[in-house]
Amino acid sequence: MGVKPLTPRIRRRRLNSDSKWGLLMVTPYIIHFIVFVLGSLLASLYFSFSHYDILNAPQWAGLANYKKLFQEPVFWKAMWNTVYFTILFVPLQTVLALILATALNQRLRGLKFFRLAHFVPVISSWTVILYVSDAIFNPRFGMANSFLLKIGLEPQKWLQDERLVIPLLVMIAVWKGIGYIMVIFLAGLQNVPSDVYEAAEIDGAGVFRKFMHITVPLISGTTFLVLILSTISTFQAFEQIYVMTGGALDASSAGGPNKSSLVLMIFLYQEGFTFLRMGYASAIAWVLFVILFILTALQVTLQKKWVHYE
Amino acid sequence: MKSQHKKWGALLLAITLLSALLISGCSTKGKGGGDVELKLGFYSSAQSDEKMQELIAKFQEKHPNIKIKTESSPYNQFFQKLDTQIAAESAPDVWLSDGVLVPKYAERGVLKDLTEWIQRDLKAGDYYGLEFNKDAAGKYWGVPQGIQIAVLYYNKDMFDEAQIEYPTDAWSWDDLKTAAEKLTKDTNGKYAVDPAFDKNKISQYGLTFFSITEGWMTVLKSYGGGVLNETLEQSIIDSPENKAALDWIVDGMQRELLPTPSDLKSFQSNMAPFPSKAAAMRIGIYARTIDANAAGLNYDVTLLPKGPEGKRFSPVIANSWVINKKAEGAVGEAAWEWVKFWATEDEVQKEWASLGEAVPVKKSVANSEQFLSGSPANKQAFLDSFEFAGTLDVNAVWSEWVGKFNDSINRAFEGEISVEQAMKQADQEVQKVLDEFYKK
Repeated sequence: MGVKPLTPRIRRRRLNSDSKWGLLMVTPYIIHFIVFVLGSLLASLYFSFSHYDILNAPQWAGLANYKKLFQEPVFWKAMWNTVYFTILFVPLQTVLALILATALNQRLRGLKFFRLAHFVPVISSWTVILYVSDAIFNPRFGMANSFLLKIGLEPQKWLQDERLVIPLLVMIAVWKGIGYIMVIFLAGLQNVPSDVYEAAEIDGAGVFRKFMHITVPLISGTTFLVLILSTISTFQAFEQIYVMTGGALDASSAGGPNKSSLVLMIFLYQEGFTFLRMGYASAIAWVLFVILFILTALQVTLQKKWVHYE
Repeated sequence: MKSQHKKWGALLLAITLLSALLISGCSTKGKGGGDVELKLGFYSSAQSDEKMQELIAKFQEKHPNIKIKTESSPYNQFFQKLDTQIAAESAPDVWLSDGVLVPKYAERGVLKDLTEWIQRDLKAGDYYGLEFNKDAAGKYWGVPQGIQIAVLYYNKDMFDEAQIEYPTDAWSWDDLKTAAEKLTKDTNGKYAVDPAFDKNKISQYGLTFFSITEGWMTVLKSYGGGVLNETLEQSIIDSPENKAALDWIVDGMQRELLPTPSDLKSFQSNMAPFPSKAAAMRIGIYARTIDANAAGLNYDVTLLPKGPEGKRFSPVIANSWVINKKAEGAVGEAAWEWVKFWATEDEVQKEWASLGEAVPVKKSVANSEQFLSGSPANKQAFLDSFEFAGTLDVNAVWSEWVGKFNDSINRAFEGEISVEQAMKQADQEVQKVLDEFYKK
């Protein structure tokens, strides 16, 4: 009974402070972050300096994993494949999504249908996309080869061809991802005030000039966000390549023919989970982190040069 | 007053969320006094899961003091989870391991050495394949649950259509190729022996195989070659025997008598060509009878062909029960009871065999009418194959060296590099994997 008056007073003091309330409300997230994110991050940093096969305790190995990694030709191949994928994917998807968003920002008939149609692949799983793309690019039964044969060209191996596999995967990824980026651009486009266009029209600007001199600069903030998002997502690309190059059937074949579609995330997965070299895989993860950090920092620095905020 | 209520409500919500978070992190284990709780893990399909539960119920009738807690999931998920469970010390006490994964766990010190128990309780002569889990030092790490062994499958209708004799156990690989030529057909209905045959438009392959188990290993070994030496720590890939065997395969693939690995990608699965009637023959393990029967094929099986010196080889995978090293005392004993129950009881063996997934481990059951009847007619071929059966050079880094071997050899299969080049490359890559694990 004696404690009773004390508790409400303390509580009342806390209740009166908004910032403390805020802290309390985010506590679950902070605990989650410390336990499941920060903890794992530090653990993986430690593992990256050790030999760790998951089944037995890790043994300190110093820089051995990193040394091995940088001397491993497969690592450099995976690095190149990832960069190649990003170089093709990010500009292609950004430009196409912007054009598409501009087109779908007009007053058209059946606008909702078109917006929806471009969003369907976004919400489909990669397994579904696999079946769709298999109907086209299956070397034996696919439409692409029957078309080539019909016009008198040689059939191709498509995803089994070392030179074609990454461009094809990029094409499919653009098709799947474009709806999402388009929606982000649409939101950006709708924030462009229409009086600016009207003014330009009075000055006699055509469609192309309006697009290049009004739309592009005024949505540069959105473009910047899109670039960062897509770069990060391509460096983390895993599921698509894993599913499409047969990883679900046989983990070792996920890298495609002659490792031509082995990207960093698949390399990491194979080393860590298939071959039980978790220390080595952690080193790959940290290298990947450093690369992404530098790339993002670079983009943030460069944005001052070209991003306009109102 | 009203806003006060709101704040209290919010505080309550925050506390609930917090405690939910904390509670979900830890669960309590209930243990009855005197009774033993055994955690049993297995990979399964919907069909086999039901049968397994029946057998577990029978076991519990006989051992009321052992309480079984099962943990099962489909193959891939099961083994993905297992590694992390072992790391977190929450792995099952006894689990079903794919035969090729037993050394992975044994050599990393995760499994209990079963040598003494096996010698005490099991009569070696009563079983097929106890020795398939024996390591180079003579220690046993598991007891087979069911056995996969390979034979030659052939589609009788396709042989009849081509008007050629069914395969016999006297066949050599060259006999097989001669037959395959007469069985490989293009979309115009022309066979490979016909000059008008178009190898770009195959509708039916003479033979199909893939990867190691149902593919190249049996050819390599029957030609006198192989991948690893007896200690399983040294590559023997670069040999004239392997060259001859690989030449045989590459020649067949280049003439499209059998599909290359990239041809196989056109099918929904590597296993599809035979049951979907796109191949007249296949190298297949026992489990493949399920697909073939389900597809209603008119087929049979016979022994795999002989190599040039008359040598045969049938690859074996003995999927096995293994016991967690951490399962000590009463739990360990209970785990062994389960393994023993599985191996020794005729009824269990018969029930499990009825699924058609594996050859029974117990010889008396495998040789019974119950197993030998049904389709295919010549099931005896599976049992006869034990005479020249062997494992797939399985060691602790098996999946890794198989991956490296395939990387190189598949390029030769596709005609991108020569057999010699592929062998040299595979030899170096495989040796690198072996050295990294064994020469530490």
